[in-house]
Amino acid sequence: MANALFYILSVGAILAAAGVIASRNPVMSVLSLLGSFFCIAVIYLLAGFQFLAAIQILVYAGAIMVLFLFVVMLLNLGDPEGEAAREPMFHHGRRAFLAMGTSVAILVAGLVAVLNTSFPAIDPAVAETGNDPVGQLAIAMFGRYSLPFEAASVLLLATTVGIMVLAKRQRTPRTQGERA
Amino acid sequence: MTVPTEHLLILAGILFTIGVAGFFLRRNLIVVLMSIELMLNAANVTFIAGSRQHSTAGDLNLDGPIFAIFVIAVAAVEAAVGLALVIALFRRRQLVMLDQVNELSG
Amino acid sequence: MQSANFLWWIPGLPLLGSIVAGILHFVELRARKRSPGDRTYGATAAWCAVAAVGAAFVLGLIGFGALLEVGETGTLTSASWRWIDTGGFDVNVGMVLDRLSSVMVLVVTGVGFLIHVYAVGYMKGDPGYAKFFAYLNLFVAMMLLLVLSDSLPGLFVGWEGVGLCSYLLIGFWYEKGFPAEAAQKAFVVNRIGDACFLLGMFVLAGLFGSLDIATIDAGVRGVLADPERQGQLALAALLLFGGACGKSAQIPLFVWLPDAMAGPTPVSALIHAATMVTAGVYMVVRMNPLFAACPNVLYFIGTIGALTALVAGSTALVQRDLKKVLAYSTISQLGFMFLALGCGAWATAIFHLVTHAFFKALLFLGAGSVIHGMHEEQDMHRMGGLRKHMPRTFITFVAGAAALSGLPLLSGFFSKDEILAHAFADGGPYLLLWGVGIATAAMTAYYSWRMVALTFFGQERFDVATVEPHESPAVMTVPLMVLAVLAVVGGALGLPAVFHVQNLLGDWLAPVLAEGNELLFGAAPPHMSPATEWVLLGLGAALALAFAHKGFHDYRDGTAADARFASERPAAARFLGGAWGVDKAYATWIVQPVKLLAFLIAVVIDQFAIDGLVNGAGAGARRLGMRVRRLADGSIATYGLWMGSVTALLAFLWMWMGVR
Repeated sequence: MANALFYILSVGAILAAAGVIASRNPVMSVLSLLGSFFCIAVIYLLAGFQFLAAIQILVYAGAIMVLFLFVVMLLNLGDPEGEAAREPMFHHGRRAFLAMGTSVAILVAGLVAVLNTSFPAIDPAVAETGNDPVGQLAIAMFGRYSLPFEAASVLLLATTVGIMVLAKRQRTPRTQGERA
Repeated sequence: MTVPTEHLLILAGILFTIGVAGFFLRRNLIVVLMSIELMLNAANVTFIAGSRQHSTAGDLNLDGPIFAIFVIAVAAVEAAVGLALVIALFRRRQLVMLDQVNELSG
Repeated sequence: MQSANFLWWIPGLPLLGSIVAGILHFVELRARKRSPGDRTYGATAAWCAVAAVGAAFVLGLIGFGALLEVGETGTLTSASWRWIDTGGFDVNVGMVLDRLSSVMVLVVTGVGFLIHVYAVGYMKGDPGYAKFFAYLNLFVAMMLLLVLSDSLPGLFVGWEGVGLCSYLLIGFWYEKGFPAEAAQKAFVVNRIGDACFLLGMFVLAGLFGSLDIATIDAGVRGVLADPERQGQLALAALLLFGGACGKSAQIPLFVWLPDAMAGPTPVSALIHAATMVTAGVYMVVRMNPLFAACPNVLYFIGTIGALTALVAGSTALVQRDLKKVLAYSTISQLGFMFLALGCGAWATAIFHLVTHAFFKALLFLGAGSVIHGMHEEQDMHRMGGLRKHMPRTFITFVAGAAALSGLPLLSGFFSKDEILAHAFADGGPYLLLWGVGIATAAMTAYYSWRMVALTFFGQERFDVATVEPHESPAVMTVPLMVLAVLAVVGGALGLPAVFHVQNLLGDWLAPVLAEGNELLFGAAPPHMSPATEWVLLGLGAALALAFAHKGFHDYRDGTAADARFASERPAAARFLGGAWGVDKAYATWIVQPVKLLAFLIAVVIDQFAIDGLVNGAGAGARRLGMRVRRLADGSIATYGLWMGSVTALLAFLWMWMGVR
């Protein structure tokens, strides 16, 4: 049954992803992406990685997507009568051609690579393993991977500072109007 | 779940390709950023597939999820910075269409 | 072999004088800015230079005296300095004063001293006064280095050094334009000779493993016995002679000397009459065993010498410029010296070198006095009757001309006659050379007295009012008189055997020349009966007197004879006037092609090809950059596209390689 669920979810994820890039309204894009993330999270669960699934929902769907939504709302990009709505969605001309070509090439390359490799079968007992994956994860994270962990925290700090600098309002006569 | 690893990887590939297509084709900067998130997600799925492949009955391989967690952290960071740029850009030009942002030319 | 480190001072003192004069030159330049007309520094420099050469002469005398005590084969040697040390092959430089070099030292410093004194007066008023004496002293130092060196590289340093000073001094008045060209010509032609000399040194180094003159001279016998290496001896001798041709203005490298007359007259006297041009002769005598081992090369040398004497002598017959006559005369007399060398008459060549130094320096200085008194006029056709205006110059000049023409009992008579006697005695093919020598001697007498007649006798062919010829000051006439005395009595150094008097110079030099004489003549040196010798002496005297009289007579009343010759035989006049067309031939066949080649390389290859390539590469890179620049249109989408597609491509490639 889990297998069947997997296939359903994957179809869902793919459709949602398509929805991301195919929506005119940015808000719709955000919501589609959210849906895709949910599907992926359940797939993680099925695979036996509960903590990751939780993180996916909490951080990815819950923080990052919310941030996206926040910015979209802030800049009022979702307004169907606004300026943003009237812009063409896709690039035109040579760029589009090249882009599609690249994408197709990537897909084909990936498929070829995957189909040419033989993978041994998965032991069903893997997914049922329940002996404290979170605890083991914690031991690994703060033990073996403590350096990347600390580096990640430094990265977050640097980003925070950077964002504050980037998004700071310029107090010069050039600033046009004020937005909340 | 005993889905063969190939299928997981195919899923990741399709998601990635969709992300690439969106990255190259869409003109709206926000959507481009979201495509990037999609690509990163696809990478995460790949990691999971690999980790699942290398696990045995008694010992769950945790390299995959850990890497995926870091990827999520980096994705968050990158999204935040990107959005900060969008906001800064919007303040200047009122619009966030990608091909109109061309002041970095030489 | 006695140790004598004071030898280093012999070239060292003039070198010091040169440096002092050089410094004073710059001081003088500065001083003149403040007070133009200040001559103290210049005068100081001049007298320092004179003193330096004088001191060198004194040292030479001391050395000579020391040699008298040391015995026949004794030498004074100084400490040697190791210049190049390569383990297998070493080059040392040291000074050695033997009988041969002592003679040279005395001539160089003695005549040099007189010329320096003369120059104090001659160059007065010239803005480069101190510089002149710096160069002149440097020249003397280099010449002494050349003479005293005990190894060929040391000699070569002196050889090049005198060439450099010649260049500097010929082009002393470079602002005039022509002297600079003449200097360059001298240097370039000399260089060809120097290249031959270098090649000769290489061959010798290969043969003997060392370039010390003593080692080479001693080792010639051994190499001669080895049939494989014999040929290389001749090659080396030939190459060294090639160098001598350049330095001593023999065919084919004589063309620089007439042009060198553009330099101040003391330079012509010292460098191009008495000393530098004799360096070639000295070198051959120095290396006499080497040359003696190659009789064919010697004959070749004799032939070249005789030929040069003939060509130059005949050219001197038709020259109008006083200094040019003397220049060609010098080339001709040098030819005589090489003729002597070709006959194996080493001591005779040196004898002629000495007497020639006396009378040729005298003649040049006298000519300088005339030119000075005539306010820089050098064309004899515009002189005449000067004996009333410049009596002392006249008398001394006549003495010199008499010696040059070989009038009996004067120095030139004895030295020239000895050369011709040796040629005659050698017999066989040398008789041809003797014939050429006799003809040239006749010509010498003719043009010498033509010179005298045109300059000092006959009508005054100049405007007395504008040109006021005057006698030169004592500082110039006293050296003239000293040289005149030497020119007259100098023959006493080498009186012929039939006079039953000792041949002073010959006996003095015999030990140095023993090896060479033995190699060349074995036990049987060429011999002449006293009767033959008297006949030859008489013949020489008669020819000299006859042609001297003819020359004087033809030109006593003016330049009509020249005009007649030019109109009756214009082709011959032009041919002789241009030194048998040699200069012109060089200009057409060598200078023009070289200039064309230079143009080809400079313009075609360098400008078009190489610059084009380099600039073209730059321009091409620029154009490429312009094209590529258009890729960076500022649009992030484009950048992203590029990044993505290339990354995909790379991934593709990587996968492909991995899969394979």
